[in-house]
Amino acid sequence: MAARASGLAMEMTRQYLAGELSVLLAHLQAAANTEAAWRDAWSLRHAAETEPISALGWVTVRALALADDLCWDSLNRGDTAAFTCQAAVCDELREFGVCAGLLDEA
Amino acid sequence: MTEIKQPQGPGVQTSEAQIAVHWREEEYIPPPPKFVEQANAKDPAIFDRFSEEHFPDCFKEYADLLVWDEPWHTTLDTSKPPFWKWFVGGKLNASYNCVDRHAEATPDKTAIVFVPELESDEHEKISYSELQRRVNEFAAVLRDSVGLKTGDRVTLHMPMVPELAVTMLACARLGVIHSQVFGGFSGIACGHRIADSGSRVLITMDGYYRSGQMQDHKAKADEALEAARQEGQEVDKVLVWRRRDGQYASKTPMADGRDFFVDELLSEHRGATVEPVSMPAEAPLFLMYTSGTTGRPKGCVHSTGGYLAYVAGTSKYYQDIHPDDVYWCMADIGWITGHSYIVYGPLALGTTTVIYEGVPNYPDGGRPWRIAETLGVNIFHTSPTAIRMLRKVSPEEPKKYDYHFKHMTTVGEPIEPEVWRWYHSEVGKGEAAIVDTWWQTENGGFLGSTLPALQPMKPGSCGPGVLGVYPVIYDEDANEVSAGSGKAGNICIRNPWPGIFQGIWGQPDRFVATYYRKYNKDPDSTDWHDWPYFAGDGAVQAADGYFRILGRVDDVINVAGHRLGTKEIESAALTVPEVAEAGAVPVIDDIRGRVVEVYVSLKPGFEPSEALEQKVSAAIDTQIGKIARPKNVWIVPDMPKTRSGKIMRRVIASISNFADVGDVTTLANPEIVESIRHYVQSSKVAKDDVPRELSETEFEEIKKFGGE
Repeated sequence: MAARASGLAMEMTRQYLAGELSVLLAHLQAAANTEAAWRDAWSLRHAAETEPISALGWVTVRALALADDLCWDSLNRGDTAAFTCQAAVCDELREFGVCAGLLDEA
Repeated sequence: MTEIKQPQGPGVQTSEAQIAVHWREEEYIPPPPKFVEQANAKDPAIFDRFSEEHFPDCFKEYADLLVWDEPWHTTLDTSKPPFWKWFVGGKLNASYNCVDRHAEATPDKTAIVFVPELESDEHEKISYSELQRRVNEFAAVLRDSVGLKTGDRVTLHMPMVPELAVTMLACARLGVIHSQVFGGFSGIACGHRIADSGSRVLITMDGYYRSGQMQDHKAKADEALEAARQEGQEVDKVLVWRRRDGQYASKTPMADGRDFFVDELLSEHRGATVEPVSMPAEAPLFLMYTSGTTGRPKGCVHSTGGYLAYVAGTSKYYQDIHPDDVYWCMADIGWITGHSYIVYGPLALGTTTVIYEGVPNYPDGGRPWRIAETLGVNIFHTSPTAIRMLRKVSPEEPKKYDYHFKHMTTVGEPIEPEVWRWYHSEVGKGEAAIVDTWWQTENGGFLGSTLPALQPMKPGSCGPGVLGVYPVIYDEDANEVSAGSGKAGNICIRNPWPGIFQGIWGQPDRFVATYYRKYNKDPDSTDWHDWPYFAGDGAVQAADGYFRILGRVDDVINVAGHRLGTKEIESAALTVPEVAEAGAVPVIDDIRGRVVEVYVSLKPGFEPSEALEQKVSAAIDTQIGKIARPKNVWIVPDMPKTRSGKIMRRVIASISNFADVGDVTTLANPEIVESIRHYVQSSKVAKDDVPRELSETEFEEIKKFGGE
């Protein structure tokens, strides 16, 4: 996976982007099947809620990387239920990131 | 598996000039004649009424939209700048203005339509008289069962349900200051805001629907209370609304003596009436916390009279709300947009406002248009992010539905012309006037927009300053950047306006430092002309006076005229798998003004190497461009951080510039500073790469780098 934060991510108030990202990261937390992944997702959520809005791009990039890792891990273990759930979160994160201008989509 | 390709095109633009040409000047689009005919503001004489010559008394026109218990004697008090006071001496109650007066005049008119996320659930129409009953009964609960009184703060952590509006209006009725935290935020984020505001009561809900699933929301209350307790704030009572009558949607047990179901408390107050408390115009109505603050949270204090007048006035003229409209703002009430343009503005004007519980694309991208068709929505208001999402998932969907918007709004971020055009032609079917609005949490209401019947739309530009608001663009040296110059700068507002927040809760110095100090001409002056409001956004102004908003002006490194966002650089560094954390800082350079240096720490198991430094540099080069290539990449064992985990960029910027790092004793890891300083500065000395001594201005820039 190659994701990057968009340079076009502009600000104004944009508080709602932090909120929506926080909700999606809560989903990621719920989809995490190891303690370490849960903690990583929690710290990303904390960052989304506390870092400046301009940081949401890299939070999204890191969240996608984590979601991707979770998907591969579930695939390797043959856990299709977990994979389905994690892939859905991954998709949500990506769609949101692109539409919010936090990620570039070539 | 997720696949996002390497960026191309506009995402890599960085310079002011490139930004300016990226959204080229667009054509003007006039509002539809049918809209103009019925508009609240269609006589150009309004511009004269709100000209600077008539400031500040022009805002009497907004204040006259409200019912005042006592008239004001001073329109604008500037005696303690920049703590402006509007309509001083006046008294009113926001709840009365949004509920009672309409309940008396039009009791059966629908005030709120609640649209549950599940399409199988019925819409709920709440008339003004029904809203009055609910607000009164809940105000009685707050006053008599909970013991809240005027001036107390109460934190709300509620989803998008009508009970949230009822709760806000019940607080307003008593002069209790509400502080709603976005329902999707974690309990911990809520807890920090509880602690900062000193709330002893939390009002929440057991659950709500999102994407078709009932969410356990009450569980967050326990987290919030624990987070608040760790900051020394105890919460005595938690009031829990139930999403479905007689059911409890949470797995969290109710704490005996602390947690109370609202419906059970309400049963003791059926039919109660609570006299609205007549509040001074400058009394706080609510706190709205901004996110993105690693230090102490920033609670923006909004006033009763000035705020309510401003949102009523801008709702009338810019949203073009008439009492017989059906108005839907698809934002969340947890943000300022929802406070101003779902609850207070529309209800102050006695119209019908829609509250939708869920996400726009559940169960599919046609949902918003079905709602609009079913309810006869004729004014629609949403964000560019939502527009992009709906355009992406179902671009053809709007035309399948028989709805007709006369007016549409975009809010929250700049909208690209091509997205604007889809919004105009597909969502609006070419029939609607669109206002592209610019403003912020701190501002209460719109600052930049076209007046829809009198100023043509121009995709990509928000328009000029709104009525009675006089924006200006300054460069870093406080020189005015002229309209049509094509140069970007810091957009500021030269004058106070009634919706401006009154301060940051409990942090008056921070308020002055953040928003006014930068361009203040005389700290002792009581003349508002000397106190421009620094918005923190960059902008360019076209020759026609329309503004195009570019983004935040902080956290930017200006390399040879190219404005490089630090986060973009850091994001690029973070794509290197070995990198755990990254911080980009400016270094003073006589030729290019500033150059970039990047500090990275590595994930466990990886060792620093020159190859890794080059890998980081190459990643930045590839993703952003050569202009952003760092002069040095420093691999350090850890970053200097605050206790909340924020990288202290000012410390590493000072190290790179051989400047005093200042006080580091409050850092979580102060010992790392000396270790980094020794490593970086000895390497620079060895490479004969020591920057010259900084000027006072440069030193200030470095000292403040990275913000709070």
